[in-house]
Amino acid sequence: MSRVGTGAVYDRGYRPYEGRRGLRGAATFALYKASIRRALGLRRSWRQKVAPFVLLGVVTVPAIVNVGIGYVTRDRVGSDRLQIITYRDYVGVSSALLLFVALVAPDVICPDRRQRVLPLMFARPLTGADYVIAKTAAIASILFAFSYLPQVVLFLGNMLVSDAAGTYFTGHMDVLWKVPVAVVLLALYYAVIGVAVASMTDRRIVAGAAVIGLFLVTSIASGVIVGDFEPGHGSAAALINVLALPLYLRDLVFLGHIDAKSPMSGVANGGLLSAVTYAVILFVGLGVLLRRYRWVER
Amino acid sequence: MGFTSCHWTTITHTLSRGRCRIERRRTRVTAPGNVGQMVGDEWMLRLTGLTKQYGPVTALDDLTLTLPRGLVGLVGANGAGKTTMFRLLLGLSQPTLGSIEVCGIDVSADPIAVRSRLGYMPEHECLPLDQTAADVVATFGELSGLPARAARQRASDILDLVGLDEARFRPIGGFSTGMRQRTKLAQAIVGDPQLVLLDEPTAGLDPLGRDEMLALVARLGSFGISVIMATHLLDDVQQVCEHVVMIDAGRLVVSGATESLLERTGRVTIDVGPNGDAIVSALVAAGMTAVVVDGLVEVTVDGDAQLDVVRDLVADLGLPLYRLTSRLTSLDEVFLRRAAEVS
Repeated sequence: MSRVGTGAVYDRGYRPYEGRRGLRGAATFALYKASIRRALGLRRSWRQKVAPFVLLGVVTVPAIVNVGIGYVTRDRVGSDRLQIITYRDYVGVSSALLLFVALVAPDVICPDRRQRVLPLMFARPLTGADYVIAKTAAIASILFAFSYLPQVVLFLGNMLVSDAAGTYFTGHMDVLWKVPVAVVLLALYYAVIGVAVASMTDRRIVAGAAVIGLFLVTSIASGVIVGDFEPGHGSAAALINVLALPLYLRDLVFLGHIDAKSPMSGVANGGLLSAVTYAVILFVGLGVLLRRYRWVER
Repeated sequence: MGFTSCHWTTITHTLSRGRCRIERRRTRVTAPGNVGQMVGDEWMLRLTGLTKQYGPVTALDDLTLTLPRGLVGLVGANGAGKTTMFRLLLGLSQPTLGSIEVCGIDVSADPIAVRSRLGYMPEHECLPLDQTAADVVATFGELSGLPARAARQRASDILDLVGLDEARFRPIGGFSTGMRQRTKLAQAIVGDPQLVLLDEPTAGLDPLGRDEMLALVARLGSFGISVIMATHLLDDVQQVCEHVVMIDAGRLVVSGATESLLERTGRVTIDVGPNGDAIVSALVAAGMTAVVVDGLVEVTVDGDAQLDVVRDLVADLGLPLYRLTSRLTSLDEVFLRRAAEVS
């Protein structure tokens, strides 16, 4: 026997918000979080999650392989132990990282302009500079995580397969600050370039191609100009390689000087020149972004 | 100011058990231009000599007006300067001349403080299509300064309010035009603004969707949220708004209470049931002009004295008086006439 329901439908109406309310800082942080969610495909369909997490897996593979080899060769003594990658080498440019920048930066930037969401954002307590900071910081944070997490895997793995974990840890204390500093320099650099290039167009595919094109063209041009070189006899022309520039700073962090195998090796004041060029590129990239988002034109 | 003032008399009729009571109310408006005196926190927006030029094109030309709290219609043809005014109110564009105060805050001095009190619903498509309505509205709640948890809770409440409770976890890309308009409205009010700017909220909607959207807009007033609704559809304004601002080619045509702008045409319509012919004969015999149109009697009256004659004749004939209304001009007629006067 069915029973007649006694429920009622209520109109909950509208309740004014009387709680705490943030201003620019809160809005910027909210945009930062939303950008990270978007970049990682969170709260979106599973297809949007595939690319970032596959690429994270790919960049972690060398660390896992290295630890595995270390485990297999754990009974060997000293130099007989195989180590295919060092912490310094691992702070570098992989195809996966390059692909990630070319994929994620346009995805975080271009739809806002293409779908004309910017007027809604800038109708909030948010300025153009806040927008640039939030978006760049989001990409930089993800790049930092993608570069740093494999290093953590590598460090912990090496420590666990070493003869004495405590001794390994105390013997590699310098890595604990060198890796984060080098990774921050790398992440910030690629984030600024990726976001700046992506801001030039509202089409993701064009932005992605432009990011890859910029890196590859300058890399190839630098290679052609510098040509073959003996260790310690590089050329300042290597500075035009936008892709590899942060690696010279990485060398400065890890070694205190440019590595002898680097195309910048042997260049007078090579470290200083690299640092200045790095700063100029960051400055130009941020300048482009701030100008681009000074006013919303749509 | 140099504007001429005049008084408009509006008449409201109240029927009680067949008796007719006529109330006269005087409302002061300034034409062309501004409402009269508003002091303290009665006003929500004040424009002083507002001018915006894009190169040789003058989008807004020396607008000076004060708008009260409540539902305000901003009326003008396409290109009249409505969207430009919204951009200036939001601080997204700088005025060439003049100043804007929203809720007592100078927009040029502190645009961030103004934006934290405003909600904005643009005319164009502006929603991320690959995200759910719940995510989008919650994100814009956070961008308005609400804590994350409060933003998600309010997003749920507001989407329920605008009739998207069932659809809030669906991607916006699959929404109809009406649902997208509701989502745009939801993101505009999720931050609990004091003033909402609605740019053509009924654009692209079918008649039913339009009525529902206008009903939602009308409800905002009861929530204590002031609204400026830009539209070129005067019917929408007449249906919802308590105050109207008309602009044409960037210039102010008229600003005033909607009721006061609807001028009397000099005709009244009376409903005496099936006894129309009897009252028409009596009115004609009294020297007045009256005809039956669609079962209602339309009478041309010249002054309040003739209204009394109509009332007395109905009473003398012992007819039931179901309705007596003064025929008003439409806002379309007001706009066309005033715009012609200004130009």
